[in-house]
Amino acid sequence: MTPEEVRTAQQEGALVLDMRTPRPYAREHLDGAVNLQFNRADLVDRAELVLPTDLPLIIHGEPEAIARVAAKLLAEAGFNVRGHLEGGLKAWKEAGLPVREMPTVEVDDLNERLGDWLVVDARDGFEFKYGHVPNSVMLSWVEAWQDWESVPEDSRPIAVICGDEIRSSLVASILERQGRDAQLVVGGMVDWLDREYPIEKGEG
Amino acid sequence: MIFKQFRHEALNQASYIVGCPRKKECFVIDPADDLGVDHYILEAADLNLVVVGVLETHVHADYVSCARELAEANGCPHYLHESAPVTYDFTPFFDGQVFEVGNVRIQALHTPGHTPEHTSYLISDASRSAEPWCVLTGDCLFVGDVGRPDLLLGDQALDVMDEGERAKTQFNTIKNILFTLPDHVEIFPNHYGGSACGGVNMSGKVSSTIYFEKHFNLAMQQPDALAFAEFVRETAKPLPDNYERIKSYNLGLIDKDQLKGATL
Repeated sequence: MTPEEVRTAQQEGALVLDMRTPRPYAREHLDGAVNLQFNRADLVDRAELVLPTDLPLIIHGEPEAIARVAAKLLAEAGFNVRGHLEGGLKAWKEAGLPVREMPTVEVDDLNERLGDWLVVDARDGFEFKYGHVPNSVMLSWVEAWQDWESVPEDSRPIAVICGDEIRSSLVASILERQGRDAQLVVGGMVDWLDREYPIEKGEG
Repeated sequence: MIFKQFRHEALNQASYIVGCPRKKECFVIDPADDLGVDHYILEAADLNLVVVGVLETHVHADYVSCARELAEANGCPHYLHESAPVTYDFTPFFDGQVFEVGNVRIQALHTPGHTPEHTSYLISDASRSAEPWCVLTGDCLFVGDVGRPDLLLGDQALDVMDEGERAKTQFNTIKNILFTLPDHVEIFPNHYGGSACGGVNMSGKVSSTIYFEKHFNLAMQQPDALAFAEFVRETAKPLPDNYERIKSYNLGLIDKDQLKGATL
């Protein structure tokens, strides 16, 4: 699909799935795109856990081979795939269409100024229970598409964290698409625990 | 560190992805067109890695490279040693230059002989130790054998060194550069087994160590460069049929459609 066709489809309700890794996504992505990182092993499984199959989808991947393979895998699994963005981000920008940046947060900054963010933990419940950033609230990646409104209204930006970055970027991108001020914690709980920053245990 | 070896069994060719799982970036080393650009793109994506550079140990004469296309598809540099006599644009590096990706450090070791620009890549992972862990030896040192010095085009400007010079340089390079690395360092070559790029002693095993090759590599048991050159000539396989056309393509001298049928 050309960039213009993708934009029109978006305006008619289609969702752009960005297949890239979270850091390039955070640097720059199509306005409204949700970040579901590609891999051949379990892309379809993750998509099935997160998204309704009747939702019209458009795939953005870089290099484009990733978009073609992802579109094929998802279509074969029964998703309503409309196509993929031809020419990638470069073509999108050349067409003058809007891009967004998602701010990133280092764990050191998060620890030092913890009160400056509402921290949302995108992991599964058992991981949250085992140990999470103090005062964080849970929005599991599996529930984020349906339950994003459960994240309390707050004047602060939302810092989304997971074990690494894949699930947090997915949840942050869903929140951003709904107009919330979402930011991505790079390095995730792995970095947080490495630096021995405080954690809370339990249901929260 | 993420380290993955890809083997093209028909070519007995090995290529590599080396990257850092924390930085989520990687280099691809010596990609083969027979596996294809998409192969490396999808493998890197499966490993959650962005390709930030394509490295080659040398300009190959024994298989078609897809380094140029892979670098272009990823919008990243294609690196070759500064002396590579290619006709297209590439990003030159010099002996000793270090490529860093997160915890992983890839140091270029200029190891001329098989070709004048030939470079090995010494790899360490700071999350384990600053010590080197393995070395990608390209077509310099194989498991059980060494790269052949006689894949020449017959054009002095492109060949730079003749067969005798190449053999002599190869012996000294292996002895003075690779065999002075710590014994524990693992060797990962560009070819193995039945590949026509080495001699009859090449092993089907796809990795070795400096210690093992220092002691049991037959070519390197020769007392000096002259005896080495003689040994390599005597144990060489027949010259591969299409190496001139493949080398010419990899140098940028001919187009892909002029390669038709040129497989080894």
